[in-house]
Amino acid sequence: MATNVAGRRYRMWYAMLLRLYPRPFREKFGEGMAQTFDDLCREHRDAKRRLFGLALWIFFETSVGIVRENSLHMSQLGKTMLRVALGSLALLMVPLVASRLVAGWNWNAGAFLFVYVLFFATGMAYAVIARKMDAWSYKAGVGLALVTGFALGWSNMVHVADSENPANLVYYGVLAVGVIGALLARLQARGLAYTLFAMAATLALIAGMLPSGAPPHLARNMAVGRAVFVALFTASGLMFRHASLAGLK
Amino acid sequence: MAKKSTAQAPLTPAVLHILLALSTGERHGYGIMKQVEADSQGKAKMGPGTLYGSMARMMGAGLIRESDKRVDPEMDDERRIYYELTGAGRAALQAELQRYRSVVAVAKARFAKGSLAHGH
Repeated sequence: MATNVAGRRYRMWYAMLLRLYPRPFREKFGEGMAQTFDDLCREHRDAKRRLFGLALWIFFETSVGIVRENSLHMSQLGKTMLRVALGSLALLMVPLVASRLVAGWNWNAGAFLFVYVLFFATGMAYAVIARKMDAWSYKAGVGLALVTGFALGWSNMVHVADSENPANLVYYGVLAVGVIGALLARLQARGLAYTLFAMAATLALIAGMLPSGAPPHLARNMAVGRAVFVALFTASGLMFRHASLAGLK
Repeated sequence: MAKKSTAQAPLTPAVLHILLALSTGERHGYGIMKQVEADSQGKAKMGPGTLYGSMARMMGAGLIRESDKRVDPEMDDERRIYYELTGAGRAALQAELQRYRSVVAVAKARFAKGSLAHGH
C-alpha cells in the first residue's frame, strides 16, 4: 500500500521533471518515457523492492538527459536561425538586384529591412512548424501554405497601395483565418487541413463578392491570380489531409 | 535515409545496444531496456534519459523508426509506441559487428604471436 502511494508520487514528480525537456523532444518521447518509468516502478513493486533507489537513479539519469537535450536544442535552434537569416539575405538579393535594373523601383532602406524581416519570419515559421511531424506531406503543406500566404499578403499590399482602395484590406482576413485556425488546431495535420480549406473558401468568397474596381483586363488577371491562390491553399489542405491520414495508419 | 557517416562511423555503446535489442524484432521503450539488460547479462543498465536521447538521434539518422502504437498484452492495456530497425539501421549494425570482428581477429593474431614469443 505504502509502495503504491510512493509510486504514484514518484510518477507525478517524474511527469513534472519531463516538462523540462525541450518541447519537440517532450512531445515525441514524453509519453513513452513516463510509461517506461511506470513499467520500471511496476517491476520493482512486483519484486517487492523499494522504489526510492530506483527513483533516485532515474531522476538523476533523466536530469542529465534534460541538460544534454536542452543544450543540443539551443545549438540546433541557433544553427536554424543562422541558416534562415542567410537564406533570407540571399532572397533579398532578388529585389535588391531588381531595384537596380527596373526603372521606377525606388525602395528605401526601411522597405528592404521590412522585406528581410518578412522573409526571416516566414522562414522561421517554416523551420519551427515543419518539425512538428516527420511526414513529407506535412512539411510540404506547411511550405506551400506559408509561401502562398506570403504571396497573397504581398500582392494584396501592392494592390492596396496601387488602387488606394482600403476595401481590399479585407483580403487580410484570409491570413487571419489561417493564423486563428492554426492556433486552434495546435498545428495538428487534421486541423490544419480544415484551416487551409477554410482559407481557400474565404478567399473565393471575398473574391466573388468584392468588386476589384480595376479595369476589365486587369480585373480578369486578378481573378485568375486569386483562383491560383485558392487552388494552392486547397492543395496545401490536401497535403495536410494526406499527412493526417498517414499519421492514423 | 541514414547519413553516410552514421553507417560508417563507430557507434556509441548505447546505440549499439539499442540496435542489437531491436535486431530480433520491434519493441517499446521498456522492452528495449530489458533486452539491453539481458544482452549484456545485466552489465549495461540504461535509464530512460539515455535510451530516449539515443533513440531521438537514431531516428534523426534514420537508423530506427516508430513502427506502430498498440497494446502490449503482457503489460497492461495502455497503448505503446513500438520501434523497429530501418534498412540503414540494420546496415549500421552489420558494419559495426564487422568492425568488432576485425578488431578481435587482429587482437587474436597479436596475442597468439605474443604467447609464442613468451613460450620461447
